[in-house]
Amino acid sequence: MSIEVKDLSYTYSVGSPFQKEALNGVSFSISEGETVGIIGSTGSGKSTLVQHLNGLIKLTSGSVKVYDIDLSIKKPDFKQLRATVGMLFQYPEYQLFEETVLKDVAFGPLNFGATKEEADAAAEEAIRLVGLDFEEIKDKSPFELSGGQKRRAAIAGILASKPKILVLDEPTAGLDPVGKREILRLITSLKKSYVKTVLMISHNMDEIGEYCDRVLVMSEGKLISDNSPQNIFADESILSGTGLSLPHTARIRRMLETQGVFLQGNPLSAEALAYAIADALGGRS
Amino acid sequence: MNRDITFGQYYPADSFVHKMDPRVKLILVVAFIVAVFLVKSLFSYIAITIFVIVGILGSHVPIKSILKSVRGIIFVVLLTAILNVFFYSGGERVLVHWWKITITVESLLFALRMALRLIFLVLGTTLLTLTTTPMNLTDGMESLMAPLKLIRFPIHDVAIIMSIALRFIPILMEEVNKIMLAQKARGADFESGGLMKRARALLPVLIPLFVSAFRRADELALALDARCYNATPHRTKYKVLKLGWRDAAGAFYSALLIFAVVAINASFWGLFGFSLSV
Ligand SMILES: Nc1ncnc2c1ncn2[C@@H]1O[C@H](COP(=O)(O)OP(=O)(O)OP(=O)(O)O)[C@@H](O)[C@H]1O
Ligand SMILES: [Mg+2]
Repeated sequence: MSIEVKDLSYTYSVGSPFQKEALNGVSFSISEGETVGIIGSTGSGKSTLVQHLNGLIKLTSGSVKVYDIDLSIKKPDFKQLRATVGMLFQYPEYQLFEETVLKDVAFGPLNFGATKEEADAAAEEAIRLVGLDFEEIKDKSPFELSGGQKRRAAIAGILASKPKILVLDEPTAGLDPVGKREILRLITSLKKSYVKTVLMISHNMDEIGEYCDRVLVMSEGKLISDNSPQNIFADESILSGTGLSLPHTARIRRMLETQGVFLQGNPLSAEALAYAIADALGGRS
Repeated sequence: MNRDITFGQYYPADSFVHKMDPRVKLILVVAFIVAVFLVKSLFSYIAITIFVIVGILGSHVPIKSILKSVRGIIFVVLLTAILNVFFYSGGERVLVHWWKITITVESLLFALRMALRLIFLVLGTTLLTLTTTPMNLTDGMESLMAPLKLIRFPIHDVAIIMSIALRFIPILMEEVNKIMLAQKARGADFESGGLMKRARALLPVLIPLFVSAFRRADELALALDARCYNATPHRTKYKVLKLGWRDAAGAFYSALLIFAVVAINASFWGLFGFSLSV
């Protein structure tokens, strides 16, 4: 089991007029190798939940275990934890600060105790991995990069520490459609070769439906559903009341049903949908 | 770092003091500060204490939040009190005499009095910021500064600069919080090491913070321009400040306090050993 969360609750600013219950009795576990999506409307507690996985929020109630690091003990090994769980925040480009891209990407490994040579080597590998031109970019200031390049550089900064689990908080927010697709492709390829487990928060149901093999649905601090995207997006009943909508693919399937065309299963990627429609209409050509 | 320390520490509640006009509150706080400096005798201290307690009760702010502000200056209060005890020259009733240090009853009373004054000052101003939103506060100041228009002082610009600055403090605090979390996730350590190491550790937070502050300022300037801000000389207000019965009551009550302090000072002067003027 790579992540085990039991009965996790969290309240912000306890005792002040701004007190806010953000998580309420959340339990789930994730095995190595899964790609898990987390969805839920704004303020449902998604970010609060994933920040617990990295020890960025102090555990107050319930338990969290990442591999054999137990966060409910008194002094957990945060360095070890943060080296294991790589966390990409919303708009990660705002965390860039060094003079050069190379130095910025090497910041993580250096903090986790690598020597300068090791850190630079890890940084080079990570920069190439995210698809940036290493020779051209390594001595540039991170502030000179374009938006999409900055985001890649920020992702490289996370990957350089070689995390086993990658947690992404809305990795495609604010990017254009092409940029979104490129980042998602990058994540998929990382998943195949580099990191073992991926957790991804997204507001884009199409991305979740296409790229995840399991989905957690959050609503008002509670985990209301934990299932495959095919089952969660099978009809509107699970998502009703959360303010979330179905992916376009699922909506097209339902529109076809009202017209009397029934598809096999619940295809969620554009490609799978096209095949299913072709099958339903009498064979592919 | 958390949201508890948002600047201005406004405590939302629906109380008498909250509903008072910010201009009146500002004037009353100034009057209160003057009164605190006027107090001399035991009875005027009691009068001030009653005044503060009534003010706190009328604000519906829990005593805990108010004491928090006092906790912040307790070190300063103690330090000045200790210095006052040692360096107060004069006084007859000697308690301790050791080497060059003499502690007298008078020096102790003097120190106590100064400490109380400091605490009163903080309580009074805290009550203002706890019950008035920063926006209302700047509105009130702008309105009070109106006479300066006569000498062509750009009060409106100053007011907008002030309110933007106030508005941005919590935003920047949140930003600091976010950036710190992001760097912590990359293994940054803000909690251990010596002073130099900790100061250096803040660089990864400060640089992105400055970058984002400039970006925000740029965007805001653009947005102000795009909406033709200041294109017309006479702007109207969305929220017009109005005086009400609460303001009259509050003003009357404070006038009473100042009158009481002055009267007590005048008539009980020197009646008590510990009411020496300072
Ligand atoms: N630092 C904080 N102090 C107080 N309350 C907070 C803080 N951070 C978040 N909250 C509140 O906790 C709740 C959950 O917030 P969280 O950021 O986890 O939501 P989210 O699901 O990530 O939302 P979004 O999709 O907008 O990112 C929200 O109501 C939010 O207002
Ligand atoms: Mg969030």
